[in-house]
Amino acid sequence: MRLIVTAALLISFALPGQAVTPGKGLTPMPDRPPAPDFALSDIDGQTHRLSDYRGQVLVVNFWATWCPPCREEMPSMDRASQTLAADGIQMLAVNVGEDEDTIFQFTANYPVGFPLLMDRDSKVAEAWPIRGLPTTFVVDPQGRIAYRAIGGRDWDQGELLDPVRALTRPPTAEP
Amino acid sequence: MLLGATLLAAPVSAEVLTGEDPETGLRSWTWSHAGTSVQLLQLLPDQIRAFFLARGFEGEEVERIARACVFQTIFRNDGDRPVEYDLEDWSLLNRGERRPLRTRERWDAEWQTHPIDEPARIALRWALLPTVQGFEPGDYNWGMTSFGLPPGEPLDLRIVVRIAGEQITAQIPSVVCAADR
Repeated sequence: MRLIVTAALLISFALPGQAVTPGKGLTPMPDRPPAPDFALSDIDGQTHRLSDYRGQVLVVNFWATWCPPCREEMPSMDRASQTLAADGIQMLAVNVGEDEDTIFQFTANYPVGFPLLMDRDSKVAEAWPIRGLPTTFVVDPQGRIAYRAIGGRDWDQGELLDPVRALTRPPTAEP
Repeated sequence: MLLGATLLAAPVSAEVLTGEDPETGLRSWTWSHAGTSVQLLQLLPDQIRAFFLARGFEGEEVERIARACVFQTIFRNDGDRPVEYDLEDWSLLNRGERRPLRTRERWDAEWQTHPIDEPARIALRWALLPTVQGFEPGDYNWGMTSFGLPPGEPLDLRIVVRIAGEQITAQIPSVVCAADR
């Protein structure tokens, strides 16, 4: 039987020594389009609807376990979620196309405190303006997409979180 | 990585760096210009087999993708202007014949005649580099590109990107599909 190469090579698709260099910044979305609603189960069986979070700032990350940049940003995203929670900001990660067992195994190495939702048929991902993984959106309290980041980020960088926090503050009146 | 540089005879000032991993022998090619870069990393057919067998593919279908010259591809915009590409504008030259890339849409068309399960189709679709993408400064994607050639075949890749609307055409020469070890 043909040698099916080692697990490390199979899983990552990254060459040894191939570092994942994070991207930078958040891109403001022109005209802030409405974020498409969804109802997805997390790996504990609880259903999350986007509309349940109306009035809150929400960070929504689309990812998959096999995607190296997705894995790379998970730990810093988890730390950021804890920091942002103090400002009432919620983080959700939507897994695209994988099953509960796969995601559950992933969490053994990448434990996170925010909900991991399952988009098994990728219908939700296809409804959002996403072409590749990971893509992260920041949704404002009115349910509109305010920012987008294509590719992973280092969420420990404070300046990355500043525009997210700014969405929790009411806009200042024009003079 | 061991790196070497080759200046290209392209209409823009750009260069291609080549590398080879000393442990695996897998090779890479990186084109860069004005903060935009495209990196191709060889993937072994066995890596592709294992990845897709674990995601719903079966024997005959997995061979179609495993032996289709698949590279891990990293497209980055580390410049200060928006960048766009459309893989339909890209092409490869192999033994005198110019061919298109096997995009998500071309694979979807193939599964019309060779049906696969939905989880497998979803896995391939999202694992491939998007056919069309726009990157603001700081954005990037990782994804597979497939060229539809047998293992070990050589090719020259023609790429087209638009940086702030300006079209840049360049070549990544002497790329080689990973051998089926």
